[in-house]
Order: sequence, then structure tokens, then C-alpha cells
Amino acid sequence: MPNLNPTKPDVPQLIPAGLLLQLSIDDVKPSFNNPRHLFDPDQLDELKKNIAEHGVLVPIVVYQAKGQSKFSILDGERRFRCVRELVKEGRVGKDGEPLKLPANVVEPPTKIAGLLYMFNIHNYREGWELMPTALSLKIVMEDLGTEDNKALAKLTGLSDAQIERCKKLLKFPEKFQELSLDPNPKTRIPSNFWIEALPVIDLAMEKSETIKRMGRDLATVKLVEKYRDKRIKSVIHFRRVMESYEINEDDLPTREKVLRRVEEFFLKPNLETRDAFDEFVVDKKRVLSALAACEGFLSELQRFRLMYTSNDEERKSLQIALRQVQAYCESLWNALEGRDDPEVQQDRP
Amino acid sequence: MTGIIHSLRAALRYRDYKPRPLTLLAAKRWAMQFEKNDRRLAERLLDNVIYISESKTREILVYQNAALMKRLLAAGLKPKQFIYVQVHDAGSSSPVMLNLLRDAAGLERMGCKFLDAHDSMRLIKTMNEIGEGALIYVDDFLGTGKQFCGERDSVANIMVGTFSEFLLAPSICEEAFYEISKRGLEAFTGHVHSKAERPLHANSPLFVQAEKERMELICKGINKGGALGYKGLATMVILYRNAPNTVPAVLRGSLNQTPFKGIFPRTTDLPVQKVL
Repeated sequence: MPNLNPTKPDVPQLIPAGLLLQLSIDDVKPSFNNPRHLFDPDQLDELKKNIAEHGVLVPIVVYQAKGQSKFSILDGERRFRCVRELVKEGRVGKDGEPLKLPANVVEPPTKIAGLLYMFNIHNYREGWELMPTALSLKIVMEDLGTEDNKALAKLTGLSDAQIERCKKLLKFPEKFQELSLDPNPKTRIPSNFWIEALPVIDLAMEKSETIKRMGRDLATVKLVEKYRDKRIKSVIHFRRVMESYEINEDDLPTREKVLRRVEEFFLKPNLETRDAFDEFVVDKKRVLSALAACEGFLSELQRFRLMYTSNDEERKSLQIALRQVQAYCESLWNALEGRDDPEVQQDRP
Repeated sequence: MTGIIHSLRAALRYRDYKPRPLTLLAAKRWAMQFEKNDRRLAERLLDNVIYISESKTREILVYQNAALMKRLLAAGLKPKQFIYVQVHDAGSSSPVMLNLLRDAAGLERMGCKFLDAHDSMRLIKTMNEIGEGALIYVDDFLGTGKQFCGERDSVANIMVGTFSEFLLAPSICEEAFYEISKRGLEAFTGHVHSKAERPLHANSPLFVQAEKERMELICKGINKGGALGYKGLATMVILYRNAPNTVPAVLRGSLNQTPFKGIFPRTTDLPVQKVL
């Protein structure tokens, strides 16, 4: 396996075939990856005007796949699109012939060179599903023999965070990865599902004997079924599970309760994420926020060192405001005397 | 007398139509559904049907595939680098066409690979393993081409390595060619179905305007929403296995074949047989 140096990628580069051709639009096959983000209509329009005036000044880069009569674009998709539109509009070159595209022909890229090129395109893609990128990254990691994030980032142009996310996806067995490759967006499991579900599955596998006995695969299946049954309304809600556990770090009885709820969450198909975990997160969050507000209020007031005022009107206004604060604090104090939620009807009369 | 001769000729020409083989009686019954003045028009429409029988389908696929293979082999590729891809769902036309071609051309023995466009993981693995080669999509008929191109675009999103792409299909409408060429795919087909070949299409000279309007009115009486077929393509290609959903309603008939019996009902137009 090659020892990879991040500063000097040990990967095959594009090899020029030494040909500069003037291609007609029909000779060119657009890039199959179709990086939509590159085609901002305003920018494209600007480029089109430029090409209409001066022609294509920088040749596009193409290769000819074996057996294919057309040339595939490696670089220059936008120039190609502009010329295609201009030809459609009936624009001709100085020679009176339909506009042509100057193209540098290179040898067909190797698998790795093609993949690395694809990564660089995908960095600009909108709404690109991460799973195909993760699977391609796996090929790059296997072929180049490295899992080092820095080296991979250098080669692929992916950020450290993106690589980490891809690696999370690759932790799932193929049968689950396939669910994110479903061509039908309605039945496809989004890649984010796995990324968000991973810590929850890890937690359950580590802390619950029942889930451990159930096995990782079956536990994952349970979550997929829940998601498909809309009992997990958003993959972001998985974060509530982890928050519930983490926020109660110092409260062992509640933490135990959270873990029992995690177990229930896997076992009970109808238990919805927010219904299951909001009580641990929302209440706790509100209390923590109120504590922070109290501290902030006190320190703010103290910062003014306000002991007197000679302005009677201002004094009066301030006293009224303080009285209001005092009244609210007293009512809150009294409300906190009871331990039950006043909005929940009690069993006892 | 001409009516009987016409029905007899139709029954002979279209006898191997799979969803419901055409008999002399069925052909005659179809013609008799039209009023006397319209009957001749309907028969003329039927005369313009481009029927692709099973043997013709096999012949086209094998011939076109041989031409494609010749080119790929000359370019230095080996059969084990050819991935034949079926599109659409299991049991639909594409897998049937692929099966037909595979057996008729002996592709399996040559070491070619066969994959489903929906099986993304195997596609990625196979492309990764081969690295360079050809992806050959196989289908029976393309109308607008949008359905096929949707499937192809999904495959393109997961493509690994350097692969040329081709489409093999017995017949392709000219509308689909636009979609295919936009993607730079090369099609190998036995027949390009032009608009001019479709009597009920606005761009066809085969029927005069009054005849088109009359026939369209009858079609609307059978299927208001899809009188001239999907997207109003009014295609006239009928494949032995099934009629495309782009043909005019007079050829397909009503849903469940009541009240109007078609001459080429699609499998989904026929009443479901009671098995219990």
C-alpha cells in the first residue's frame, strides 16, 4: 500500500493526450455528475454573453471513454452549456458555422482520478446525498490505503467534518447503506438518519442489556421502522435522546429513567421521539435557562451600583419595575413549592 | 367484404400479441364497434400500426447488440467489462428484454454482467471492480424518455470509474431521443418512431385535420384524460409483450374493456381474472 503524504498526493493525475480539438456540441457528452450548484442562472447568463462576444477562450477538458463516440467533459460543463444554448439560438462563429468548443483531450481518467474529480465537483453540489460520497470515499481509502482525515481532506477537498460524517455512514452494514441509495426519494432513508441514529444505537448497545441481546442490526431495523412509520418525525429528534442522557449527568435517578426510556423507545414501535424524551430535555432546559437568567439579572443590576437617584420620577418608575420583579419572583417561588405539574390533572381530589 | 379481409389480415399480423392474442373474431368485433362512416378511418389507423413481434424484437436486439459489441471490442474492451442494466421494476419490460437478449446472444457465456438499476450497491461494487467498461441499458420502448432518463440519472449519481453508456431498445420515439441526447447517451435501436408516422399526431400528414379530430373525439369517448395516450404522443408502435401507454385509446380500449373493447389492450386494461 502506498504511504500517503497529505502534502503530496500519491494519486494518478490526468494524462494529456496531446490533442486540441474544435468540437461541435453533438460531439460532447455532459458530465454525468451534473453539479447543479455550478449553474447559477445569473452567472451562466454572464458567461454566455461573454462567449457570444469573444467565443470560448479557455478550452474545456474532455476524454473519450472506450467505445464511446462522444467526448465526456471533465472540466468545462458551464462553457459547454452556454455554447449549447447559443447554438440552439442559432448563433454562428466567425466562419458562419455553428459555434464550436475548443477542447483539450486527455486520456480517460483512472478510477481513482475520476473519483477524486467527482469529489471536487460534489463539494459544490446542492442537496447531494452523502451516502454515494461515503461509498466513493471508502473506495479511495481502500485503494490508497489511508484513513487519515488530513490526507483524505487534501485529496478529496472534503472538509474534516464531511469525512467524519462519511465514516459514520460507513460504520453501518451494507444492507442499511443501501437504503440511502434508493432511487425513489419517497422511500429513501436519508443519510442523516444514520449519522444522527449512530450515537443513540451506541448508547443503547452499551447501556441496555435488552438491546444488547437484541443485537445491533435488529436495533437498527427497529429505528428504521419507526422512521418509516413517522414515529421519528425528524432525524434531528435523535439529538433529544442524547441530550436527555447527557443533560442529566449529575442526576443519576433521572439518568436511569432516561435509559429505561431509551430501551422502551427501541421496543415500543408507537413511542414517538419527542413524546418519549421531551420531559427530560425541555423541563431541564427551562430550569437551566431560568437559573442562567437569574444570575444574569443579578449581575446586570449589580453592575449599575445604583444606590440612589435624585430624580423623583425616575425613582418612582424604578420602584414600580422592581415591585413587578418582586411580585413575579414571589409567585414563581410559591409555584415551585409544589412538586407536581399544576397543568396536569391530579388523581387525588 | 373489405372489412373481413382487413380483420383477417389484422388477426394474422398481430396473432402473437401477448396480453390478448388477436383472433379474426376479436378483430372483426373491434371494427364493428365503430359507426359505418368511422370504420374505414379506424381500419386506416390500424394499417399504420408498427407491430414488433417477439421474433422481430429478438432480431433487433441481437443485431443492435452485435453492432455495439463490435465497436466496444474494437475499442479494446472485453465482454466481462460490459454491464447490462435493466431499468424499471421487476417484471416490467426492461428485465424481459434483457432476458431475451441475454439468452439469444449468449451474453452470460461471454462473461458479461447483468445488474438492476435499482441495485445501487451492486452497481457500485461491480463498477469499482471493473474500473473501466460499458454500461448498456436495455429497454423495450421509449416514449417521452423521461422515465428511462430518471432511472439512468440515478445510476449516473453513483457511477465509479470510466464507463461509456449506451441504450439498447427495439423502438424509440423521436421525443425520447432529445432527452437521451441531452445526456450524451448513444442509442442502438431498430426503429426511431417519428411523429410523421403517427396519424393522430398534430405533426403527421397521414390523416387530414378533420379525420384526426373525428378520431380524437372517439378516443375521448373511451378515455377522456388519455385520448391520444400519455402526453398525447399518439404513438403507433405495438410491442408483442404489451402496448405502450402512449397509444391512442381506440387501440387500447376502455379500462376492463368495457364498454369499448380494444384491439391491443395493455395488461392493465384487462379485467382481473377471478382466481378464487
